[in-house]
Amino acid sequence: MLAPELVTKTKAAIANITSPDISSATVDINNCDREPIHTPNAIQPHGVLLALNANDWTIIQVSQNTDSYFYQSPEALLGQPVTTLLSNEHIQLIKRCLSGDFEAINPLRMTLPIQQQLKHFNVVVHRNGDAICLEFEATAASSEHQHSINFFDFHKLVKRPINRFQQTSNLDELCQTAVEEIQNITGFDRVMVYRFDQDGSGSVIAEAKQSHMTPYIGLHYPDTDIPKQAKHLYLLNLLRIIPDIRYEPVPMLTQKKEIEAETDNIPPLDMSLSVLRSVSPLHTEYLSNMGVRASMSISLVTDNKLWGLIACHHDSPRKLSYEYRTVCEFLAQAIALELTNKSNHENADYQLQIKQRQTEFINALTQSENLEQGLTQNTERLLGLTGSTGAAFCEKGEITLLGKTPSLAETNSLIQWLSDQFVESALFQTATLSQAYAPAAQFIERTSGLLAISISQVQELYVLWFRPEVLQTVDWAGNPEKPIEIDEHGEEKMSPRRSFEKWQQTLEHHAQPWLPCEIEAALELRSSVIGLVLQRADELAELNSELARSNIELDSFAYIASHDLKEPLRGIHNYSSFLIEDYGDALGEDGAQKLHTLMRLTQRMENLISSLLHYSRLGRSELMLSPIDLNELAESVIELMQMSKPEEATIEITKPLPVVEADHTQITELLTNLITNAIKYNDKAEKRVTVGFLTGQEAQQQNIYPEQPILTSSESFPDASIPVLYVKDNGIGIREKHLEAIFRIFKRLHGPTKFGGGTGAGLTITKKIVEKHGGNIWVESTYGEGTTFYFTLAGADTSDSRQSSADTPPSQ
Amino acid sequence: MSSSARPYMLVVEDSNEDFAALQRVLSKHCKTDIPIKRCDDGDDALDFIYHRGAYSNLTQLPQLIVLDLNLPGTDGREVLTQIKQHEQLKQIPIVIFTTSSNPKDIASCYQRGANSYLVKPMSIEQLKKSVCSLIQYWFEVAVLPAQG
Repeated sequence: MLAPELVTKTKAAIANITSPDISSATVDINNCDREPIHTPNAIQPHGVLLALNANDWTIIQVSQNTDSYFYQSPEALLGQPVTTLLSNEHIQLIKRCLSGDFEAINPLRMTLPIQQQLKHFNVVVHRNGDAICLEFEATAASSEHQHSINFFDFHKLVKRPINRFQQTSNLDELCQTAVEEIQNITGFDRVMVYRFDQDGSGSVIAEAKQSHMTPYIGLHYPDTDIPKQAKHLYLLNLLRIIPDIRYEPVPMLTQKKEIEAETDNIPPLDMSLSVLRSVSPLHTEYLSNMGVRASMSISLVTDNKLWGLIACHHDSPRKLSYEYRTVCEFLAQAIALELTNKSNHENADYQLQIKQRQTEFINALTQSENLEQGLTQNTERLLGLTGSTGAAFCEKGEITLLGKTPSLAETNSLIQWLSDQFVESALFQTATLSQAYAPAAQFIERTSGLLAISISQVQELYVLWFRPEVLQTVDWAGNPEKPIEIDEHGEEKMSPRRSFEKWQQTLEHHAQPWLPCEIEAALELRSSVIGLVLQRADELAELNSELARSNIELDSFAYIASHDLKEPLRGIHNYSSFLIEDYGDALGEDGAQKLHTLMRLTQRMENLISSLLHYSRLGRSELMLSPIDLNELAESVIELMQMSKPEEATIEITKPLPVVEADHTQITELLTNLITNAIKYNDKAEKRVTVGFLTGQEAQQQNIYPEQPILTSSESFPDASIPVLYVKDNGIGIREKHLEAIFRIFKRLHGPTKFGGGTGAGLTITKKIVEKHGGNIWVESTYGEGTTFYFTLAGADTSDSRQSSADTPPSQ
Repeated sequence: MSSSARPYMLVVEDSNEDFAALQRVLSKHCKTDIPIKRCDDGDDALDFIYHRGAYSNLTQLPQLIVLDLNLPGTDGREVLTQIKQHEQLKQIPIVIFTTSSNPKDIASCYQRGANSYLVKPMSIEQLKKSVCSLIQYWFEVAVLPAQG
């Protein structure tokens, strides 16, 4: 039973491709692809068709051959209630059949009293929109050879074939058995299994025939031999029979509408589900050219798709009773079920080999460091996965070629083109690349077949497999190009070809087509790779969050530890002081002095802890970004310094400094640290400090960038669009060997009493501030002459910036 | 007890040494004889203020609370929050006296209603200065609400 959705869908598909204006009189080979073959408005003469109004059961359409069956003219029947022809019991039977009663299934047996004689009919009933279609085929009352079969006959007929089908071990055997059994049951001269290829053409893959006949096995037939709408109809009507192709079509008579004008609008009856439907004259001409007189075709349907046909030919007229047709239809369904089974086992060894390769691949991929290595380290494995002779791996425009491939430049252009082909599917495959991609003609010997998968469009991650051209010969049943004939009026006329003699075609620019299992292997490789990439990403994300967590832990550890360290330290300090206060006399000058030293040490330790605390707090704090005029900021820093230690040094700003997006507090600290150092480590009589900046271009011209930036995490450094700020002094300078060490926390280059001491955290904190702002810092120094600290700030993480400085001009 | 009872201050401090230093500075340098009561953790302090447990016989509230932040058990921040959310108790001035100089701590304590914030100094001289001015301000300069 056909699912109603399938019927609706298929009917819609047919309506979509056919054009109702074409009639059997006007159809020719040029427009036959649009012929509405489902509405021929005629039937074959071996039965009668009545269409009833489903509401009042009056006859609304009738085939014009009722005279010879019912001895009543079609005109007389039209518009009459069906009771003029059928008894109440018959009508009840029809109703039960339409409602799906198992006791009343097609065909319904009816015996009608006609001209005082009882006539026997097989009646096939189906519902068609608002109409009920009744198709009458006369059966002789005498027990004709094929007349009627009961359940036991049916069982006997199908048991042996089905056993044989099941015992076959491959597709070829199954099809051969199928044609033998169908021939045995139907007695047709020639029975063939015709299999459709993906492009709609097809070939005979099994044949049972009379010994004198020319074999058709192995012959190909072009797509156009069976128009698309006919292919759709094969899905709806699983069995089609033309008992005699030389039949005279019987036209349908349609009830006239009361209003004349509307008559034109009555659509012809949709005969998609009709068994008597008249066939296209082109089809009978085609069969006639082939030397066929009677024909029957049974659809082989797998997964609601037309896999092929069992085609039966006879060189003389041949009828087959509805029951026998049902047996054939049933057997075809049994064959179709086995087909799926057998197709899956087609080249089982090869499929197994591919599966093994897949397993190897997954192992290799999980063990390799990167995708490229995993995919390309074993050429044989990659090529073997799809049975190809060459392959290319492409990642972000980097191409790796393996085996026989187009040149690197050719592959590059091919991939450019290919990247647009992955819009709807992640897989692209063709056996004739040059048809889709003309430049492929240049490297056709190496690459006619292309199978490609896109793993990631963004990453431009593709794998391509190539196959060389293989010259193939195809045996066509006659020249598949449509022939042109000159008709009696001297005009060109296209008609179905007359010759079905074997016609050999050599296929150029064709590779061996990619097998379903090879395509599947490619797709599975894609899934594996994607799965693996996702897994890697997960691992990385986890590692990152662990790292972030331990960073936070480290920070809060430093913070808490520093606090807890301070308390006992304070105790030592205070108690030393109490000792001096209470027992100063007993301790004497020397004792008191030593306790003072102790207290000074605790204070120094407190300073160190505070620096550590400050440093760790800096790491955890969030930047409060705002546009900062560095001129104002530098001036206030300088002012503050000159207030605490006036006249100590000359501090100048070379030229107006830029406005930067930065954290005000931190940049103040940064400049304070650098300027303090510049003054502090300076033994010149006239201490000079310069705060200035260079544009990115100037910095590049003067080549002041370090070879190895101190903050390697800073991306895209150096960047010509980012200004370089500097603090330059004429101080003591730093020996080259110490240049790296100066940024280490608590690292000091001088003794505790020289240059005013210090904790040695200033530059570490400075570096941290620069780092937080996404910049870089480096130093240039000549020992004994002076030091310049360069730093950049731009590229600061602006994710939490409050304001943009993009439109703020540098202030004077 | 009547409001004429002698005002005293409550010091919430877990470190014996810090408390000893504070006491010593108060008596020796600030020359003050204001009575001091001490709680050594957060829960103890809350019992004291709410007159619970061992303190159920107390009737008089302190005139000033000196509160350390990092305390065993209930944290000083929590003690501050609870007192300052209480309708009557919130009028008692609370001076935070802690090691933490973290700007976040300072800001959040004032937001919770702290009346002053002192960082425990390292230098004893600084300590003397801070503590004496603290006592002088809260017990001699400032006028505080009458206890009811």
